[in-house]
Amino acid sequence: MAGGVIIRLLKRKLQSQSTGFLALSSYTAKKFHEDVGSAGGMKSLRAFALLGAGVSGFLSFATIASADEAEHGLACPNYPWPHNGILSSYDHASFGGAANYLKPFTWKLIRRGHQVYQQVCASCHSMSLISYRDLVGVAYTEEETKAMAAEIEVDDGPNDEGEMFTRPGKLSDRFPQPYANEQAARFANGGAYPPDLSLITKARHNGQNYVFALLTGYHDPPAGVSIREGLHYNPYFPGGAIAMPKMLIDGAIEYEDGTPATESQMGKDVVSFLSWAAEPEMEERKLMGFKWIFVLSLALLQAAYYRRLRWSVLKSRKLVLDVIN
Amino acid sequence: MRADEDVVDQKKYLEDACKPKCVKPLIEYEACKKRIEGDESGHKHCTGQYFDYLSCIDKCVAPKLFAKLK
Repeated sequence: MAGGVIIRLLKRKLQSQSTGFLALSSYTAKKFHEDVGSAGGMKSLRAFALLGAGVSGFLSFATIASADEAEHGLACPNYPWPHNGILSSYDHASFGGAANYLKPFTWKLIRRGHQVYQQVCASCHSMSLISYRDLVGVAYTEEETKAMAAEIEVDDGPNDEGEMFTRPGKLSDRFPQPYANEQAARFANGGAYPPDLSLITKARHNGQNYVFALLTGYHDPPAGVSIREGLHYNPYFPGGAIAMPKMLIDGAIEYEDGTPATESQMGKDVVSFLSWAAEPEMEERKLMGFKWIFVLSLALLQAAYYRRLRWSVLKSRKLVLDVIN
Repeated sequence: MRADEDVVDQKKYLEDACKPKCVKPLIEYEACKKRIEGDESGHKHCTGQYFDYLSCIDKCVAPKLFAKLK
């Protein structure tokens, strides 16, 4: 039925187009007469293509409204992260009482965030691009970090006897991986691969807000939606069915500094940690950006003045057209 | 050491506080639920209305949440 309508529309469109073209030139008219008989032909093909594009565009627009909401996931809200501003960095406020004129990432935040990662997330998610040494001076002191690294066992290269051996971790070692490879990770998690978190806030659109919304946004599915066994409903996850269960439960961990470990607190801390992990250069980058935008603005003003100065000679010329009798 | 169980999760608290602001989408969602009650085909669902409701709650909660967290 729809096809018949389209065919009739097509014919009408073709005819209206053809009359316009006929008026243009006799050559095109001749061509059109030739083309009417055959299925192809330049003019009719163009008209058909135009109409097809219009129809498919309209149809795709119609389907977007209906099917794609769950597929795209609920849009996450924007939270006011303390390190969001153009001049805000990761708060290095109180580890030694050092005050900064910028508002940076809190040592505490990254510290707590790392604690959350280690106790809640590290059993499934690797962070294979981060080394223990990256934490020094950012979340922990060197001694603390060394002690933390020494708690893990690392496989190391052949010794003098040609055998592989294990040793306690050092600052230069990467964060330990929970699974040997992707297949092992999938096998242990029902076919789903817990992604590496080193760059996750950059790897997802609106990463920080998305990860926070996802972690704290487990709700019951809406009426009419059922999630199969083994998956969980999360409106922010594209498609709605995520393999990860809700991991941030109130009181799941005990913070070193005594902060109450509610779901949102852990979420904020761990996302701050992940933001730092993905963009450790953020503070330096913002400082540099601010400085260079300022310098280049001054240079722009100077260049504009100099250009106008040099051109003023020409721009203030007067041409007099005089008629000689 | 403060007991974690005494402190209510801040986001949950704010979501409950924001419910009165988002009554309209909630009513739409409940209406949808009623409409599809008893539907056996399994194709009908209220994701749209649910998302509208959650969006409203999120918009209300997001600006306030971080002030309550450390």
